[in-house]
Amino acid sequence: MSLLSFYSRNSAELLALTWQHVYLVVVSTGAAIVVGVPLGIALTRRPAWRAPVLGLANVFQTIPSLALLGFLIPFFGIGAWTAITALILYALLPIIRNTYTGIAGVDPAVREAGRGMGMTDGELLRLVELPLAAGVILAGIRVATVVSVGVATIGAAIGAGGLGVYIFRGVATVDDTLIMAGALPAALLALAADAVLGIAQRRLAWQR
Amino acid sequence: MAAIGGRVLLTLALLLGACGRHDRIIVGAKNFTESDLLAEIVAQQIERRLHVPVERRLHLGGTFVCHQAILAGQIDLYVEYSGTAFTAVLKHPPVVERDSVFRQVASEYSRQFGLRWLTAFGFDNTFAILVRAADAERYGLKVMSDLSRVAPRWHAGFGYEFLERADGFAGLSRVYGLHFAAPPTAMDLGLTYRALADRKVDVIAGNSTDGQIAALHLAVLEDDRHYFPPYEAAPVVRAGTLERYAGLARALEELGGKISDDEMRRLNAAADVEHRDIRTIAHEWLEAHVP
Repeated sequence: MSLLSFYSRNSAELLALTWQHVYLVVVSTGAAIVVGVPLGIALTRRPAWRAPVLGLANVFQTIPSLALLGFLIPFFGIGAWTAITALILYALLPIIRNTYTGIAGVDPAVREAGRGMGMTDGELLRLVELPLAAGVILAGIRVATVVSVGVATIGAAIGAGGLGVYIFRGVATVDDTLIMAGALPAALLALAADAVLGIAQRRLAWQR
Repeated sequence: MAAIGGRVLLTLALLLGACGRHDRIIVGAKNFTESDLLAEIVAQQIERRLHVPVERRLHLGGTFVCHQAILAGQIDLYVEYSGTAFTAVLKHPPVVERDSVFRQVASEYSRQFGLRWLTAFGFDNTFAILVRAADAERYGLKVMSDLSRVAPRWHAGFGYEFLERADGFAGLSRVYGLHFAAPPTAMDLGLTYRALADRKVDVIAGNSTDGQIAALHLAVLEDDRHYFPPYEAAPVVRAGTLERYAGLARALEELGGKISDDEMRRLNAAADVEHRDIRTIAHEWLEAHVP
């Protein structure tokens, strides 16, 4: 069976799985931004936290995804929430690290000039550091998003749905068409996410 | 992603392995403990008797991956189950004539694929419909027919292969009239055990010889309507390999009928529950039972 005829026969299912996939990625990356960016900022204020926080985020990256899902089942059960938790843990490192690197990389002279103008720490962050670091932070978010699109396929191992369902089904029955049916749209999603965030990143660079 | 990457690497390894092979026998196994263990026993038996180098390609994907690999000559033998070959590979409907399955599979494999089935190890590793032992007691569940009573309030979690196979969930739900509270959750086979033990699902389909059944306090429901065909495990070998190595068939026949259901469960538990090395388990078993 060719890929096209498979899609035409299962278009409703394909749409549902693609939607589930996008949902997993958007929710998890969104949560990782909400947690990761403030954490990255905090690290520039509290240098002592840097090694343990980045170390921990690093450790999450090294846990194989199937094993991480296994660890999480007792706490989050099976389904989308466990997958989202795992995706958040994977997305944290690039976001925290780029936020930290972006802000730490702001020219000290610029920061001093801000202080000289009487800016408080909050104003300095909002008006000077974050705008200057935005490009680097966005680059981290871009990496996290693209990686999440790929990792989200493993959500199918715990009933979270997504395009991984086709891949798992295909691997279980050695059906290359099925594997491609899941892998191809996942790859296209990753490329699309990368392109959109890339445009946003260039916009930011251009504004500066 | 890691698992998928692993599978891609594995495929590459298989392809590379096919090139430039010398005088050696390649033993494959499916991706679960029992298959790995039996492959290791077979591999050590070949090394002991034939003194030929044996290459192990253990933990390959499921049934279909092993079948493709042996057809392509990337492995010389692996341990297959008669019922699996009958329904999943040969695509026969799940049957009633339990006694003829092995014979029929052996003759069709020989004709269609040039693969020989040797004598079975002696145990029957059927699909096991598993529930928590506490639930079995509370609701008086002994056989699979009992399940239809509680199913409307229960949730099931099954592996992808069980959901796709002809002798899997579709037929099972028809024969036993099972209607769960929601469609079964499709998930990774290994993770279904954990989900059941952690009360995230109420019923799963595992393997009856699994070492985890006792360790996780699970109960096996008896297949009272004989839905599942027998799954007798036996080495499946390429005919060409048997011709090339004269003593191979004899060496493997020595293992025939030597492993009972209980014995297999004990061996699996040694690996999965006690976490002992499968090479050591296989070595000790061979020393004790096939001197």
